[in-house]
This record gives sequence, structure tokens and C-alpha cells, in this order.
Amino acid sequence: MIMVRHPETRSSPVMPEVARLLTEWGADVEVIYPDDRVTDVSRVRVERDLYVLKSGTELALSLAGVLQMAGAAILNPYPACVMLRDKIVTTGVLARAGVPIPETLITSRPGLLAPFLEDGPLVVKPYRGSQGRGVSVVWDTEEIDQLPDLDGPLLVQRYYEPDGRDRKIYCIGGQIFGVKRVWPARTYTEKLGEPFTVTPELREITMRVARALGLGLFGIDFIISNGRPLVVDASSFPGFKGVPDAPLRLADYLYAAAERVLSGEPALEESVA
Amino acid sequence: MRAVVFGAGRIGCGLVGRLLRQAGHEVIFVCRSPDLARHLQRVGRYQVRLVWGPDSDEHVVDGIEAVAAHRSNQVLAEVAAADLVATAVGAGNLAAVAPIIAAGLARKDTTANVIAFENLLDAGGYLADRVAAAMREAPQALEHGFSGGLVYGAISQRLGDPNGHRPLTFVGEPGSTFVVDGRYLRPCLPQLEGMIVAHDYPAWVRRKLYTYSAGHAATAYLGHLKGYHYIHTAIRDPEIRWAVVEAMTEGQQGLAACHGRSFAGGPQDLAAIVARFENAGLNDPIERVGRDPRRKLRVGDRLMGAAHLAEEAGVRPEKLALAAAAALLFSPTDPAAGDLQRDIATTGLASALEHSCGIDVGVGAGRWVAELWQRMIGGWEPGNLLLHLEPILWAWQSGLRP
Repeated sequence: MIMVRHPETRSSPVMPEVARLLTEWGADVEVIYPDDRVTDVSRVRVERDLYVLKSGTELALSLAGVLQMAGAAILNPYPACVMLRDKIVTTGVLARAGVPIPETLITSRPGLLAPFLEDGPLVVKPYRGSQGRGVSVVWDTEEIDQLPDLDGPLLVQRYYEPDGRDRKIYCIGGQIFGVKRVWPARTYTEKLGEPFTVTPELREITMRVARALGLGLFGIDFIISNGRPLVVDASSFPGFKGVPDAPLRLADYLYAAAERVLSGEPALEESVA
Repeated sequence: MRAVVFGAGRIGCGLVGRLLRQAGHEVIFVCRSPDLARHLQRVGRYQVRLVWGPDSDEHVVDGIEAVAAHRSNQVLAEVAAADLVATAVGAGNLAAVAPIIAAGLARKDTTANVIAFENLLDAGGYLADRVAAAMREAPQALEHGFSGGLVYGAISQRLGDPNGHRPLTFVGEPGSTFVVDGRYLRPCLPQLEGMIVAHDYPAWVRRKLYTYSAGHAATAYLGHLKGYHYIHTAIRDPEIRWAVVEAMTEGQQGLAACHGRSFAGGPQDLAAIVARFENAGLNDPIERVGRDPRRKLRVGDRLMGAAHLAEEAGVRPEKLALAAAAALLFSPTDPAAGDLQRDIATTGLASALEHSCGIDVGVGAGRWVAELWQRMIGGWEPGNLLLHLEPILWAWQSGLRP
């Protein structure tokens, strides 16, 4: 498991429990923290049947790339993870796959956005970012000038007033889980939220995302606008907070994936690959 | 002592052959597959891996022989020379091997025992009847002993290639036992490790079916609905675990009323069963354990048999009925499950269950099953999964608005 070490103040019990379950079931689990050590890149070898890329750091992603090029089976696959780091490419791929997205613009010069504010506020996101870092809602031209110094391209999407609930869909190998939370969720309990039953339309959209991006483990954020769901973000291997029995389900999925690898099949299930 | 084992599958090799060789008896397997017979004859051995979680213990079973079933003259001669004949061919194939067993036994001038390790309530009687029917001109065949062989233990898989040169490996759990019917066996029965000679065999069959088998099936059917792939993962889901223990408790209460509390067992016996379901070393897929729900739902079988017995004892078989309702929604990729679901769609639940399984949905446990099925079916579609069993919460549902 390629992981990142979180500060002790951040509660993240899911992956340790996944590792514990897999070990209990007979798997030999090694946890790697690439950001906490020095690795000789010429000595990286494929020594495991399956690599689980949980960390989203640049170094972890690069290490996964080295491993995948050396023939390792990785979940999620390295190319999909690379694509997801670039919100512009991801959004373009989703749009081409027929996934409904908000009106989306890209630019490197925020000053050029002024005319688009006439149709309403915009959400400005750095094209490589996660967990809401650097995201701003811009209502007028003055706010454009006050944007933090964002280096590089921007992904700009039409803003829609949230309905007060933060709704996410998580996917574990074709199984989908809707989780709703208060917004913004501050405490761990608030982040766990509660499961809800999603519509067939949302399910179809989620499966379209899975196929378009080639992912088995991911989450999507969506909003509802005029009764229509719009996907505003997708993330690889999120924390699955609020998914009932998430560690057990993840361990079950990873165990089955490892079995596929041992049988000579791809780690990613056929319906997504 | 020489033994002929019909069927070189998981039970035949993983349990019967191993115990016989361990006790020093000669063993010859009769294989339906000529490739498998050639492999076993050529390699002369196989391995049995007994696993408990990450720990395992390897046993080499060597000195074995094998013959293909189609070589009837040789098979007949082997049966005629045997002191013990065992079958582990699957209940559906038992009738097919009866004539050759009959012909072999007819040639014997000493008595032999025949043990049918099959998933049938009265496998010994069933086989004896068919052997008798095949031996109308030589009824002395029934001087031999006939019994079912009730296995307490799982052999979950066979690894290896019968076309290769390396020995096959059978993976199972340690501590397996089996029960035989002492009323009908002859004195020449060999002593084998883990063999229990019972004189109330039908009660033992019920005990296994209505606790272990009912719990195993409940884990598979509820686990499937919640999207798990393996028995050892599904049983760790707190909701499923609770429902499975409740279902087995209902079965146990029915047994206690019939056979007494000490025979039926208590919570510690159920805890031991649950611990066996947790054994990840078996790697038992839900698709395998839940296979053929139509058979497993029959009146008298693990779920409905246990439910009826519980009802007779004044116990409401709520969780047994829940597991039976879940069985009706088992994986449509299982041909028998698909057939059952098509029957329900075509003729309605009541008719399909009555014709397929003998269940009357108008009364008692059958009515419970129908009511629970009705509660579930609203959200069920192939590929959907339950987020919660109670209250029922589906991952997605038709007709919902954003």
C-alpha cells in the first residue's frame, strides 16, 4: 500500500483497518510511505502481486509510475491517476464520455473571465489541486483581482447555489454508495454523514465516469441544477467516509483484485477496464 | 483394507481419500474425467492443504491409484475387490454410479460397506434403493452396508492442472469430521480419524443442515445482497453476522425441541461455526456457496426445513425467512437462480415457490418469506446492493427523483 502519513490530529482509520483485515486473511501487506524515505529509483523492483496507490502525493504517483512501467499491477492504475491530477484533462474526458458537467472554461489569465460573470458567478479552481485547496467563488470583477496568486492554468466552472447538503458518490469496483453530509462538514462525525439511495441516472453517470477514467476506486462530487445532476469533481481512492463498512468492502475488493492478478487477469475488473 | 472412491473432487480427494490413506488403506479413485484419472494414476499422489487464516498445514496423499469411470470392466473388478466403496460424485450423479456399484457388489463373496458422501438427507438409503433396483437378479447385494456420509468441514477448492505433471492441491479446513449411519453399516467398517458412527443419523443430518448449512447459506445470500465476494468477508459485516447467528439460533431452537438441548447445541457451537465461516484460508466465494438456491430452498432443506422446525417449536423463524427471501434474489449469473427468477417473473412468487421448492406462501414461514421478498423486491435489480439490511436501504433505486 503506497500511503502518505497523516498528522495524528487527522482521523483516518479506514486504510489501517483494510491492511489489518487483509493481513488477517493471509495477505502479506507492506505499507510504503515514499515521502518519508529516500528511494533508489534504479533499484525499484516489482516485488508484490498488487500495489494499492492510496497516497496522492507527487512522489507517490511517480513511484507508482515507475512500478507500473516495470509491470506492476496497481489500483488505481497509474495512467488514470495521472489523468485525475489534471482537472482540465479529466473534465474534458468526462464531457466526451457524456458525463454531465457544468459549463467549464479554462484559462491562465483570470482577468479574461470578467465577461463571463454576466451570466452568474464562477468557481475558479487550480487545474492541479485537491480537497478544495485554492478554490474560490467569484461573483464580480473585483473578486477576480483579489484571487490568490494562482500559478498555472485554471479550471473555471459555473457556480450553482448548493442545496445545503454535500452529496458524494463513492465507487468500489462497480458498487456505488451515496453519502450526504452537512456542508461544510467540520467534525469527523459530520464527515461520515449518512448513506442515501441514489437515482438510476446518478448510477449511470457514475459508471460512465468509471469507464471513461478507468477507475475502480473513486469518488465524485456532484450538484443538482434544475433537477439535473452535474459532476463537478472526481477523485482517485478517496477516504470513503460514510460508506457503510468501508474498510471491509475495500478489503473484499482488494482481495478479489489480488486473486485476479494471481490468476493472470488484470487487477481492474472487466466492467471498468 | 481396499477402498474404491467414486469421485476425485474436493470431498473425494480432500477428505475421504486423505483419511483412508492416513489410516493405511489402499485407495483407488474412479474419475468421470479420463484426464483426471490419467493424472492421478501417473502422478500417484496429491496434496491437501489444511488452512486456518494465514496458517496452513500440508499433507501429501500418496500411493493412490485411479481409473476412468468409462472403463467399466476395471471399475467393476475394483468394486468387487473392495471392502469399502465411497461416493462423492454429487447428489445428481449418484443414480448414474449405482449400476456399476451393484454389479461389483454382486461379485463379492464377503460383505462391504458403501458410504455416500452426498448432499442428500438420506444418501445411504437413496443409493441402496438404486443399487437394489439395479440388482433385481442378485438381491444379496443388499447384505452390504449402506450409509450416508455427513461431512462437517469444508474443502473449498482444487488447485492445479489435471493435464500437468505436478500434484493437485485440495484446500480445506482442519478438524473435519464426518458422521455415518451405524444402523446400517457392517462390522468391517475401518476406523478413520474424525468418523462418528451415529445411531440417530437423521438427527445428525438435521443438526448439520439446520445450523451449519443454514448459516452458510444465509451468509452467502445476505452477503451477495450486500455486495461481498467471499464468505469470510460477508460474515465480518456486523448486520450479516447478527442475522446469520439469529438464523442458526432459530434452527437450533427447533432442533432442541425435537432432539433435546444438549444435542442441538448452544451459543458456543454457533460461535465455533461462525469462526469457521471467518476462515479466510478457505477463500470460499459466495458465488459457489449460494449456487442453486432452488435446491437449497426446498422444504426440508437447510433454510425452510429449519424454519418449519422452529415454527413447530413456537419460534418465529424471522432470520431464516430473511435468508430465504435473499436467496430469491441471488446472482442471476447462477443458472438455477436465473431460472427461479424467471419462474417468479412468469408465474408469480406463490406458484414458482410451490412448484420449485414446495413452499406454501400462504402460511407460516412461507408467508414470512413472501412478505420479506415483497419488501426487498421494490429496490432490487441485478447489480444493485443493499447498504443496510434493516431498515432496507438500496444503493440505487428506480423511480427516485434527483
